[in-house]
Amino acid sequence: MKMTNQGNELITYALGSCCGICLLDPNVRLAAMIHIMLPLNMEAGRTNTMKYADTGIRETLRQMEAKGARKVRITAKVAGGAKMFAVSGSGALGNIGQRNIESVHKVLKAEGIRLIAEDVGGSVARTLSFDPATGKATIKSYGKQDIIL
Amino acid sequence: MTIKNYQELNSLEMDTLREIGSIGTGNAATALSGMLGCPVHITLPEVRIMEFNEAIDWIGGPEPVTAGVLVHIGGQINGIMLSVQPLEFINIILERMLSVSIQDYSQLAELERSALVEVGNIMISTFINAMSNLADIKVDLTVPCLTVDMQGAILTVPMAEYGGQSDYLMAIGGNFSCDGHELPCRLILSPDIRSLNFLLRKLGVEDG
Repeated sequence: MKMTNQGNELITYALGSCCGICLLDPNVRLAAMIHIMLPLNMEAGRTNTMKYADTGIRETLRQMEAKGARKVRITAKVAGGAKMFAVSGSGALGNIGQRNIESVHKVLKAEGIRLIAEDVGGSVARTLSFDPATGKATIKSYGKQDIIL
Repeated sequence: MTIKNYQELNSLEMDTLREIGSIGTGNAATALSGMLGCPVHITLPEVRIMEFNEAIDWIGGPEPVTAGVLVHIGGQINGIMLSVQPLEFINIILERMLSVSIQDYSQLAELERSALVEVGNIMISTFINAMSNLADIKVDLTVPCLTVDMQGAILTVPMAEYGGQSDYLMAIGGNFSCDGHELPCRLILSPDIRSLNFLLRKLGVEDG
């Protein structure tokens, strides 16, 4: 997780089945970007909270609030959750990307964060950069045009 | 001794895994050499236990595009095996097999893609066969699939699959060389922890 109130660009590379979540409170110009890998934290020790959608988003929101952000003002943009390999018949485990997306949606909703734009699913990896000054998220993928959210 | 985490592996266990890597990549090199019609040598296989970011650095950064062939391993052990094929490697294969070369991954058409899947598949299957014979275990492999994308995202696949168990990725693999060209191709085997314990037990490495 990276956080800034200086307006510097935040970037996370090569999101495959992972999801990148950009959070921004424009009033205090506080922005954060989380790169989550798995939908739910089921570790007993919970050492690496930022790896999971549920604990990652909650912990980031807590840290943002500690720096003066308010949940009602925070907006979110999400990218990622692709299916990198078209593996046949591997069941529920096969589509971690989809489960990540669902978990991110659920947690954002439960926390009352507005999701204003997203580019999720599909089968291509994404590099996500976020400019806190304009609130624009740019997604670069191999062999595709850049997408601006 | 049953381990719960990759970092708990002792030096004897690491040596055993290196030996699996050695036998597996050796067999894969022979198979590759048969397909390409030229001698293929292997470098000393590595067993690496890496934190995710370290693994990304190890293969050369998250963003470069590369081709990956992936096979799921089932049966008595579970895991993922990946063959990571950079452009130079692809060109050697395509020149040898189809007498074509490409400048960019976007030039890969159906025939070239299927040649790459086959090469990946044969190398992975020979590796796994050698390992399962050695350990006397029964292993099933899924149909291989190919993807061309940023390598960071390809490497996330084994990581995400077993990420719930560990923050570390285990890779057993090696590099190949052919005709004096270094073939920057990596075979990466990532078993889950339970399978790793089973494998080590089967190979007679018990009380470390």
